[in-house]
Amino acid sequence: MSTDFIETLRRRMPTGSIPFSKALLGTYILVALAAPIIAPQNPYDLLQIRGWEASAAPGTMGGDGYIYWLGTDGLGRDIVSTILYGLRISLLVSIVSTAIAAVVGVTAGVVAAYFGGWVDALVMRIVDLQLSLPTILVALIAIVTLGPGIDRIILAIIIVQWATYGRVTRAVALSEIGKSYLDAVRLLRLPKKRILLRHVMPNSIAPALTLIPIELGHAIALEATLSFLGLGVPIDKPSLGSTVAAGFQYLMTGQYWISLFPGLALLGLIAAINFVGEDTRSKLDPRSRSL
Amino acid sequence: MIKDITQKPLLELKKLTISYRSRSQTRPVLRNVDLSLHRGEILGLIGESGAGKSTVGNAIIGLLAPEFVQTSGSILFEGRALEGMDEQERDALRSRRIAAIFQDHTMSLDPLMSIGAQLTEAIRAACPDLSGKQTRGRAIELLTRVGIESPSERYHSYPHQLSGGQRQRVVIAIALSGTPDIIVADEPTSALDATIQKQILQLLRELVAETGVSIILVTHDMGVISEIADTVVVMRDGNVVEHGSTATLLDHPVEPYTRDLLAAVPRLRISSGKRTDPTFAVVNNASADDEEPAKRAAILVVSGVTKAFGRTSFGWSRKPRKPALQDISLELKPGAITGIVGESGSGKSTIGRIIAGLETACEGEIVIDGTRVDVASRRQPGGMLGRVQMIFQDPAMSLNPRLPIGDTLAESVRFGSAPSTDARLAISVIMDRLGLPMTFLTRYPHQLSGGQKQRVCIARALLAKPRIIVADEPTSALDVSVQAEIVELLGQAVSQEGISMLFISHDLALVQALCSSIYIFQNGSVVDGGSPEFIFGRSTNAYTRCLIDARPERFTI
Repeated sequence: MSTDFIETLRRRMPTGSIPFSKALLGTYILVALAAPIIAPQNPYDLLQIRGWEASAAPGTMGGDGYIYWLGTDGLGRDIVSTILYGLRISLLVSIVSTAIAAVVGVTAGVVAAYFGGWVDALVMRIVDLQLSLPTILVALIAIVTLGPGIDRIILAIIIVQWATYGRVTRAVALSEIGKSYLDAVRLLRLPKKRILLRHVMPNSIAPALTLIPIELGHAIALEATLSFLGLGVPIDKPSLGSTVAAGFQYLMTGQYWISLFPGLALLGLIAAINFVGEDTRSKLDPRSRSL
Repeated sequence: MIKDITQKPLLELKKLTISYRSRSQTRPVLRNVDLSLHRGEILGLIGESGAGKSTVGNAIIGLLAPEFVQTSGSILFEGRALEGMDEQERDALRSRRIAAIFQDHTMSLDPLMSIGAQLTEAIRAACPDLSGKQTRGRAIELLTRVGIESPSERYHSYPHQLSGGQRQRVVIAIALSGTPDIIVADEPTSALDATIQKQILQLLRELVAETGVSIILVTHDMGVISEIADTVVVMRDGNVVEHGSTATLLDHPVEPYTRDLLAAVPRLRISSGKRTDPTFAVVNNASADDEEPAKRAAILVVSGVTKAFGRTSFGWSRKPRKPALQDISLELKPGAITGIVGESGSGKSTIGRIIAGLETACEGEIVIDGTRVDVASRRQPGGMLGRVQMIFQDPAMSLNPRLPIGDTLAESVRFGSAPSTDARLAISVIMDRLGLPMTFLTRYPHQLSGGQKQRVCIARALLAKPRIIVADEPTSALDVSVQAEIVELLGQAVSQEGISMLFISHDLALVQALCSSIYIFQNGSVVDGGSPEFIFGRSTNAYTRCLIDARPERFTI
């Protein structure tokens, strides 16, 4: 009885939360896009920041009658605006890096599987090496080597993530290459590029696609982590992660809002992406589809 | 096989209807199936793919997927309806008294358990009262019974250490562990070579005679039916077409479908060299002109080809590998069809792939049209790569699933160096000749049946304007009735397009009907070769005789 109940609960939970997650994710994206219009303040514009109103508690009324609903940070930036602008950076970084990582990884996987031999050995040993190290360590090494900046963060995330796509795609591509339609194609003297792009890749790409939504969530978390560690986006362009980090020192003195609200926003974003991602993944994955 | 018809049947299906139920639809897969099985009877259930024969078997052993629902009718075991029993009783009945043997011997044993452990597990489930020693004794007894040599040593072997035939024997031993009344055998020999198949069928027949067990034998192979079944049920599209004793049904089929099915089975002629089989009349006409090519120079000469597959990664395993091919020499005359016959592992596919240029030979040479070819020279512009096209065994895997048929064919035309304006014309001519409607051009492979896909593969091969086509078991994944059509098309293609063909098969009758010369492969060597008249009439080679003897007698003339 009880196991039945738990099983039912487990099956019900995600389905109930998916429409909600989709709505939440949609809101996040809309808000991020509309940030310059709807944000009360531009936190990048030093002229709009009032240093004298720094660390104001939520609900404090500012000098011009504007109410800081979520308070201000240590530099006097409105937390609401920081979250809105930070969201833009987080989404930009994660979407761009995930997209490029997927392209790089899929290409590497297909090429490794098709050419085999030393190409395969080389690519896959790099993949092994990378996957054997903790993600954050790889990212840290990359950032330290590359230096700071949004483009470097994107690059670091790509370096971290391509390996997963590469491994998954190579496995599928290998089994596709064993099928006779590729033998038939090889007998037609087609250019290698055409064989790879038209025959191998389209048939090997499905598992990589199902990874994308999940990796998107990872990318946001990774960017936030790097920013939190102070290695991420520069301080004048705060992302959600760096805002949380900036507020960290104020926690001791009871100014919880600087870290808490951007943190909650981040939590909601990652949760929404993961739920929606898991849903998309199971819909894309033919094995989890019923007859 | 003593069978008392007056006795009440052991198992009866009465108007059994099973439907496949999905969210959008409910579709019957079995309609009003009636059959009865007596003690000690072997009932053959035959039909082509999609006939519902496996569904009947699964319904009896209780392995239907949840989407399949019994909508009406009943299954009676000793007069009691299975639907009427409670779940526990039904499960007990199925585990003790009804056993199953499946097709794929590589999948039906746990690779991580020794066969002894798997067998004792089954015996314990059936007879929990036996002591450990008795269980082991019973396991050895069963292994001996199914003809495993030195059973007490084999007891500790793992499935991968056994041959396919031995594995299937172990599966049968496991099925026997509960001394069942009924064994449902779903294609028990389809994954085995003909010589092994013969032995396994022999074993099943002995078991029936000795223990009085009844067998429901689900198969697509008329040969298997003719060898061991007492009664036959012919199924099509979920309906029973015809039902009767094997002898009557095979000799005097009533229904046209049964007649077609029987006519489509290729027959082996060993009595004389005369070709009288009406099924392959068209093909035979084509090869009747073969007197002349015999005098012409060969289009393909393979001499001394040896192939051993590469070492394992990083040279870790230094174990010398048995070569897949040893010193193979053969030739193909222009405009002729040459057959290569062998069992699995004989290297017959490997030589086909080497000739096509998909694999490289370690030693020896291949001469096509007077020019010696190797991988490098094939790849050069104007080289031979692609002048040998292949048709593969499994049509489901031979077409890119993401390209419409038209695109797949267009690639081939382009290779055949027809100007792009003629591409449509070339495709439509070939499609028409192969009986494929032009509407297929926009379809995807999964929307086509197996036979249609194989026609597309033939079209693709022909459009590339090859000199030689290597057909590697082109019909073994297809139903018999479709097989006849495909074989006919291949014969026509050779005679009309002026190409030569290497026809690789395990089916002697097919090769006999189609080929003007035949090579017999065994363990990577050519052991026999010559004209069909020689091979089937006068050859004294022991292996050739063994292959011929493994053919079901009913389909030998």
